[in-house]
Amino acid sequence: MITGCGVVSPLGVGVRAFWEGLVAGRSAVAAIEGFPADDLTPRAAAEVRAPGFADPDRAGAFALRAASEAVAAARLEGVLPTRIGIALGTTLGGMRIFEAWCPGGRGSSGLERIPYFAPAVRLARALGCCGPVATTQLACASGTHAVALAAEWVRTGQADAVLAGGTDLLCRFVVSGFNALRATAEVARPFDRDRRGLVLGEGAAVVVVEAEEHARRRGASVRARILGLGAAADAVHMTAPDREGHGAARAMSAALADAALPPEAVDFVSAHGTGTPYNDAMEAVALGRVFGQRRVPIDSIKGAIGHTLGAAGAFEVVVCTETLASGVIPPTAGLAHVDPACAALDLVHGTARTARVDVALSTSSGFAGTNAALVLGRE
Amino acid sequence: MSAPVAITGAAAVTPAGEVPLDALPDAVQGRALRGERMTQLALAAAGPALSAAGLAVCEGPPRPEVGVVLGTAFGCFLTNVEYQRRLAEGGIGAASPRLFAATVSNAAAGELAIAYRLGGPSVTVSAGAASGLVALGHAAELVRAGRVRAIVAGGLDALGDAVLEWMRDGGLDPGVPATEAAAVLVLETAGSARARGASILGTIEGHAAGFEPRGGESQGLAAAVARALGDAGVPPADIELVVSGAGPGAARAEDEALRAALGGLAPRRIRPKLARGEAFGAAGPLGLLAAFAEAARGAAVLVTDVCASGHVAALVGRVGDGA
Repeated sequence: MITGCGVVSPLGVGVRAFWEGLVAGRSAVAAIEGFPADDLTPRAAAEVRAPGFADPDRAGAFALRAASEAVAAARLEGVLPTRIGIALGTTLGGMRIFEAWCPGGRGSSGLERIPYFAPAVRLARALGCCGPVATTQLACASGTHAVALAAEWVRTGQADAVLAGGTDLLCRFVVSGFNALRATAEVARPFDRDRRGLVLGEGAAVVVVEAEEHARRRGASVRARILGLGAAADAVHMTAPDREGHGAARAMSAALADAALPPEAVDFVSAHGTGTPYNDAMEAVALGRVFGQRRVPIDSIKGAIGHTLGAAGAFEVVVCTETLASGVIPPTAGLAHVDPACAALDLVHGTARTARVDVALSTSSGFAGTNAALVLGRE
Repeated sequence: MSAPVAITGAAAVTPAGEVPLDALPDAVQGRALRGERMTQLALAAAGPALSAAGLAVCEGPPRPEVGVVLGTAFGCFLTNVEYQRRLAEGGIGAASPRLFAATVSNAAAGELAIAYRLGGPSVTVSAGAASGLVALGHAAELVRAGRVRAIVAGGLDALGDAVLEWMRDGGLDPGVPATEAAAVLVLETAGSARARGASILGTIEGHAAGFEPRGGESQGLAAAVARALGDAGVPPADIELVVSGAGPGAARAEDEALRAALGGLAPRRIRPKLARGEAFGAAGPLGLLAAFAEAARGAAVLVTDVCASGHVAALVGRVGDGA
């Protein structure tokens, strides 16, 4: 179960600022200011502009701040560090430091320079963790699978509590790469007929995943339950999603089977919804495979905070947790005219919607054809 | 105590120079030759491992019941360096979409899934030089939970000047030379292996990962070894061989951890890392294969992974099919 959440997002620092921005339908997408971007086309992104993150290891600083909020919310202080683990997803880690170092071997020295496990190490050292510590690397599904791995550790007794989530940052390396792939646009319009591509974002989301008995014993309040998890490979193409949506559908179906729930039980889907023509069309097909003709309320947060890559799935876990607790489904920022190819989907847009949500599903897909899904339930 | 997981195939490559790809089927070889070095290493080890297990399939729809979990310390670091070098030298116009697409550490797992039609979970984990045992542990749980029928699992790291230079600057000196390797196993339930008549090389009976938040301490490894033994339901007295994962710098802390977790017992210990070098992601799976080669049939073995980053892991296995 989830007993605490923390967020550093382009909509603000802290779960409250993030959630209020999402529910209001705000978008944090703007021209890049954080690093030289004059030669980048497009040059829009959703940056974290809050002060306090002028840290060479930006992704690590995001993760640390989000983890502090989650620990405080779960009142986890005092739990034995030997029984606490860390599962953190990232695709870039210390990439800005790497940019300064490479090529030529200049720049500062230190563990945080790039290896992807650096933010998790920083977190583990700061908290004095002796439990399992790992970094999940499933490209844009990293954050989702980090929470799944945490749930596995808790279920199998490897840890009593795990700080799980994802963190990623914006830098020239990643923006230039997505631009070179012609995958980016100036505005993210998930599932819109006029969508042209994704907009990158940055930030971190961390949740406390805890064994039920452990949480009860120490009197922690439960925010949401992790009911099921699933993962599957497309095994079709390294960068393009499987147009038939088989991999994503397999991951969602596996998560539902793990939860022992039929698709009819799902009240809300937090979609991957990047805003690229291929992804959203694939997802519409995949969702159709899982839910058939049934119209489930769906949203995507990528119009609001951009595609935060390894953190994206972790942000969605926070969204699902808030939606389960409040019955509020935030609107999909950037979506004005639903693509006819996605017309079968009940896409929440314009304004937030209130509904009874007992079961939520989050789905993510990434480069190299990897997919992961989580089913969460209301406490 | 949880169910043992059977190992029905294994292969390792430790190339000094070109990655050996001759044994792979033509289509896979072509894919490997077009790929980055991590992809070549993954395919060179996984292909023979899948063949040994009788599960090498290169055609047809993806198999949802077969997955992959790989562990790597540095992932696509060398590809990142190449992408960044071109960007720095040639400006934005020189940004290579082909290289950028391979700057995800799960690229090797993705290529493997495509080549061998793996439609189950495709996972890559990073935990420094403990990545390999963390990958084996996660893969074993996917088997135990019935999420897959079989899974390709192991670890690898590609080396090059940039990685070595980074390691020096980053304080990750393992105290022995770095060595490039990939080591991959095929895991499945013992029931599934027996039902299809596959021979069982050994079993994974328990596993755990941990962390040392302060240098020179041993509490994380001691706890991980204890959890791995508990997971296996194997008492310390039954361990006949320990394959040490500590380099020279961490040897004393590992001694302390083993003493604490094994209740003062000191089973025979081998240190293949001192001769072979530090193979990072491949270290743990290579250690398990070394244990299978050294210990008698039926013997319980303990393998450790220890990294200067703080990551540690332990795995309890048994040689042979347990029959």
